[in-house]
Amino acid sequence: MSENSLYPGLNLGDKHGDAHVQAESTVFGFWVFLMSDLIIFGILFAGYASYLDPIGLAGGPGPKELFDINSVAIQTVLLLVGGVAYAGVSLTVKYGHGRGNLVAWLLVCAAFGAGFLFFEVRDFISQAGKGGTPQVSGWLSSYWTLVGLHGIHVFCGILWIFAMIGQVATRGIDDVVKVRLSMLGVFWHFLDLIWVGIFSFVFLVPLA
Amino acid sequence: MTKPNTGHINPQESAASEIKSYATGFVISLILTVGAFAALLSDLPNTWKVVVICTAALLQIVTHMRNFLHLSFSGNQSREDLLLVLFSASLLAIMAGGTWYIMSDLSGRMHQTGESGSSSHRALAAYSNNGKPQQVWLSNVPLSRN
Repeated sequence: MSENSLYPGLNLGDKHGDAHVQAESTVFGFWVFLMSDLIIFGILFAGYASYLDPIGLAGGPGPKELFDINSVAIQTVLLLVGGVAYAGVSLTVKYGHGRGNLVAWLLVCAAFGAGFLFFEVRDFISQAGKGGTPQVSGWLSSYWTLVGLHGIHVFCGILWIFAMIGQVATRGIDDVVKVRLSMLGVFWHFLDLIWVGIFSFVFLVPLA
Repeated sequence: MTKPNTGHINPQESAASEIKSYATGFVISLILTVGAFAALLSDLPNTWKVVVICTAALLQIVTHMRNFLHLSFSGNQSREDLLLVLFSASLLAIMAGGTWYIMSDLSGRMHQTGESGSSSHRALAAYSNNGKPQQVWLSNVPLSRN
């Protein structure tokens, strides 16, 4: 296989040698996992859409009573910026700008992710306070499951970021760490992509 | 958008073009996000709001895949991430679209308004009220979401 044929996308580049080649199959495997995740999210979206009628609401509070559009906008911006900030991580690894920069970029991503989670949890608490708990209606069950699952993913992403900071500190930026950082990048950008679906179809469309 | 890393590209030049690609993606995403929220707050008819929001979402998903996840048909990529994603998306379209279609069709058949005499409807109302005085299920729930 010639080097030219290697994947041109979220990758490391030729001068990373073995890690670049290894990233081919390992990151592809991670993509396969993410696609199973995509199916789970997609089915939850379908469930949410199915429950979005008077029967699904079952007389409980609906989108108009529960959703805070300002908070959703803040979460959207935080996650978008946090997602794009991972470009700093990818490019720092790829062009060898050192451990300090790498850890700083990872911390920026984690900080935006944490900010996102702060507003999301605040919304969940206020919705529960308004009587919008998951057991009230089918629509609320599907809402909590879908948005909650995404929130758990973001939380896991933050844990993963800190695990990678630990590995960068102890192992340095070796081949294994590079490949793992590539997978984390795919995961982190993917969560941003799922959120596009959530803010559009879960929050904005029912309010329109 | 993405170029194969042949090793002949000047690293600095290549880094600059990648940063530009991320920046482009960020700006497009931001515009589409603001557009979606603006459509919601605008005076457009509801149908148009939904159309704008859905279109913006699809465009933004494509932008994320292209500029952030670097999925692309171009280049000599050997990893077939994009084909994997498209295959998964088609499976998802069948499963999620099918679910939504079946459930909304079922809902339409079971809960049609006006037919309060239909036995299945009465049975459902009686069942769901669980011994409480019979009330017509649909009449006290606002049908319109707006």
